Amino acid sequence: MSRDIAALRREKNIIHLTYKDIVMLKKEISYRNPLMSLGYESEDILPDGGFGAVMAHAGVGKTALLVQMALNTMLREKNILHVSLHDAVGKVDVWYHELFQNIAQNFSEGEIKEYWDKIQPCRFIMIFKVENFSVPKLEERLTELMEQNIFKPHTMIIDGFKFDEIGRKPLAHLKELAAKHAIRIWFTVHAHRHEERATNELPVWFLHVADLFEVIVELAAEDKDVFIKAIKGKITDSSRETLMLDPATMLVKNSK
Amino acid sequence: MKMDDKKVRNIGISAHIDSGKTTLTERILYYTKRIHAIHDVKGKDGVGATMDSMDLEKERGITIASAATYCEWKGHEINIIDTPGHVDFTIEVERSLRVLDGAILVLCAVGGVQSQSITVDQQMKRYKVPSIAFINKCDRSGANPFRVIGQLKTKLGHNAVAMQIPVGLETHVQGVVDLVEMKALYFDGENGEVVRAEEIPQGLLAEAKAKREELIEAASLFSDELTEAVLEEREIPAQMLYAALRKGALKREITPVYMGSAYKNKGVQPLLDGVTHLLPSPSEVENVTLDMEKNEEPVILTSDPEKPIVALAFKLEDGQYGQLTYIRVYQGTVAKGSTIVNVRSGKKVKVGRVVRMHADQMEDVDTLAAGYIGALFGIECSSGDTFVSPGINLTMTSMYVPKPVISLAIVPKDNKSQMAMAKALNRFSKEDPTFKTYVDPETNETIIEGMGELHLDIYVERMKREYNAEVTTGNPRVAYRETITQRADFNYTHKKQTGGAGQFGRIAGYIEPVSDADFVFENEIFGGAIPTQYISACEKGFRQSMAKGPKLEFPITGVKVVIDDGASHAVDSSDMAFQAAARGAFREAYLRAKPVIHEPIMKVVVETPPEFQGAVMGLLNQRRGMIIGSQDEGVMCAIEAQVPLAEMFGFSTVLRSSTQGKAQFTMEFALYRQVPQSIAEKIALEVAQNKKSAA
Repeated sequence: MSRDIAALRREKNIIHLTYKDIVMLKKEISYRNPLMSLGYESEDILPDGGFGAVMAHAGVGKTALLVQMALNTMLREKNILHVSLHDAVGKVDVWYHELFQNIAQNFSEGEIKEYWDKIQPCRFIMIFKVENFSVPKLEERLTELMEQNIFKPHTMIIDGFKFDEIGRKPLAHLKELAAKHAIRIWFTVHAHRHEERATNELPVWFLHVADLFEVIVELAAEDKDVFIKAIKGKITDSSRETLMLDPATMLVKNSK
Repeated sequence: MKMDDKKVRNIGISAHIDSGKTTLTERILYYTKRIHAIHDVKGKDGVGATMDSMDLEKERGITIASAATYCEWKGHEINIIDTPGHVDFTIEVERSLRVLDGAILVLCAVGGVQSQSITVDQQMKRYKVPSIAFINKCDRSGANPFRVIGQLKTKLGHNAVAMQIPVGLETHVQGVVDLVEMKALYFDGENGEVVRAEEIPQGLLAEAKAKREELIEAASLFSDELTEAVLEEREIPAQMLYAALRKGALKREITPVYMGSAYKNKGVQPLLDGVTHLLPSPSEVENVTLDMEKNEEPVILTSDPEKPIVALAFKLEDGQYGQLTYIRVYQGTVAKGSTIVNVRSGKKVKVGRVVRMHADQMEDVDTLAAGYIGALFGIECSSGDTFVSPGINLTMTSMYVPKPVISLAIVPKDNKSQMAMAKALNRFSKEDPTFKTYVDPETNETIIEGMGELHLDIYVERMKREYNAEVTTGNPRVAYRETITQRADFNYTHKKQTGGAGQFGRIAGYIEPVSDADFVFENEIFGGAIPTQYISACEKGFRQSMAKGPKLEFPITGVKVVIDDGASHAVDSSDMAFQAAARGAFREAYLRAKPVIHEPIMKVVVETPPEFQGAVMGLLNQRRGMIIGSQDEGVMCAIEAQVPLAEMFGFSTVLRSSTQGKAQFTMEFALYRQVPQSIAEKIALEVAQNKKSAA
């Protein structure tokens, strides 16, 4: 019903976002919560202090998937700290804008802008050069933000972490930090082609830290499609649908 | 005139306020024989170089700080373009920087990289201007050029590499060792005009060899030929080394560093050689224009004199012969007698006199080809206008001009200042489309409007400096706006019967918010409830109401008015009556449509050493700022935030004191956003108080 009213209003070129619209917009995005359909139970997917990984080859859509999860978090009015080790603030911001536009494509520009203004304060982008990044440095920045009451993240995304170069110790430290502040952390994991895989489908070089992760999903490119597979942490349910990334919008959709 | 754009350099000289930019410019003009005597710029008890340079300019009537000064060096034509060094991200800065193809970054051998050097360097980086550095004041006590090179690396992140080493420092400064030619250079003659090349003194040979190796190693990254020569241990010719360094410098991946003392006449000529060897010619720089017919799509220009003309008017100057318009030609050739079109106004203009500026004189020329800078006489235009050949529609600057977000009342001190102020304001509003001025009909005060506090400060300062207009300024005022948040109906009758012809008009309909337009008017009357001839009067009445909100008196935006009913009277209805009815109807509906105040939000980027990051975020947060993100770049970190303009007054002082002067910020308008309720109440209170005091 609310959709009809919204459509009617748009048709007359009258823009007035009501509570109903916002609820609907939220519903739409939460419907698109990327991983719920894979068999994970809670909206957060991860427990407090939990680690999650999105693994894929370069250019397959790791960042796009994580940004969708971040948008889902923001729509639930929970804070997301997006740490990127390779992109500039502007570029990360563009990811959010584009995916939000795609998610809310049925809405007018004015409505999207107004709603974006409401959820934007739930996001903080932090950029490090990969060679300057260290867990103590991140901890220092995080503490500054929280102590001054500027930003307290509910979930963190770390995009570009070099798992193959970094030992277990910094990650274990990060895990302690996540537990201390009850933060969930999602990582992108850059997998390489033709690399050796263990029996649990994980790359061999990732095994030394795999136990720190509660959830691991993989984006697998097959022909022109990108499928999302749950490798670790899902509640087994064979009736669940397979998910894939729509190459045009980079949004998650059912494969059927 | 032979046009060979490979031998043209359009450069700027950027410097910290006290690092000797004026002296260096003076020496360059002297050695290139543009001026024939050197007048020292000596501060009185450290009064400061700015004043000195101004006095000098006045006294000599020359144009050291003019828009573009042309000189020649060893067959190359060098245009030195004035670069405003202020922080604010204004159209003027953008325009000046895009005229440059390269720059000399002047640093003090004692002070090193100071905060303003950081500012100018950031500007160069933003506009991708290749630069070479000159470490000046090597005669000063405490001079250490290699410490400054270290700072260039650590503080500015430059891949700085010495082109020279000093022969003597402080009071013993004698000359420099050229690491490319491996010669010691001394500067003889009364004013150092004779350059004498000698063998490198024995005591410096080892150091010179070591530094040359560093130079070659850095340069070899940009040339396979050079790498091969190094590996084969062949002799490295100067041209090969220059070519490699030039490649790196053009990509901004290497910063060649020269050194000397302009005041003691040491090292200026090698610097000029460096300009010719290492900075780009106009055709080596990619210039982008916007295609007006394709929604401002970027188009890359080719520096070809045969193609259609694209030229930018980047500065206007009042001369004794009228308005002098400085232009840079990017493509084609502007010739005397040719016809060009001003893209902004669409007006065709015939080119009259074309001149090139020579410090204190001008030379008439017939043509100005792509890559060249010159001036036109008698062309009526504004600064930033693009001129093209008839038939093409390209613009060098976006036609989008943001609306001013801040205003300031200014009052001239006396009659003389009043006249000068009027002249200055007329000039400034022509130069800068974001600078506006008007007289407030209620208070009779002159109001200036612009894009930020600093933006207006600069113009007030310029009024004093350039026009001798002493003015006092009021408190800056933020350009708030009002808008409505819900639909409200109206049904208003305007009726007046006071003898003679009466006034009658009834209008019914509704107003509601619209987010993508300032004002929309829709007529949905069928059956002639309001006769067609009065509909435009209705629209006019509503439009008038938008100028000032009924309560807080800020301009109103984002309102759609729909009229769907009304009534008229055969005798008493008129345009006037329906305008009044529309105003009444708007008043009636407006307050019921839940009006809110919107305020300008600025995109603020603070660049600070990482150790102050927490403090800076705290400052932004206290100012109702929403931090978008932070970018750690090792030696510096950039914090980007959206902050209400109203909270940004005095920010530079607070930022300086909280970061030991090491942080700096830029600010530009981003968007309008609703003011929180508590702040809206405060604003309403202030408006009420102002009204009271005005009454």
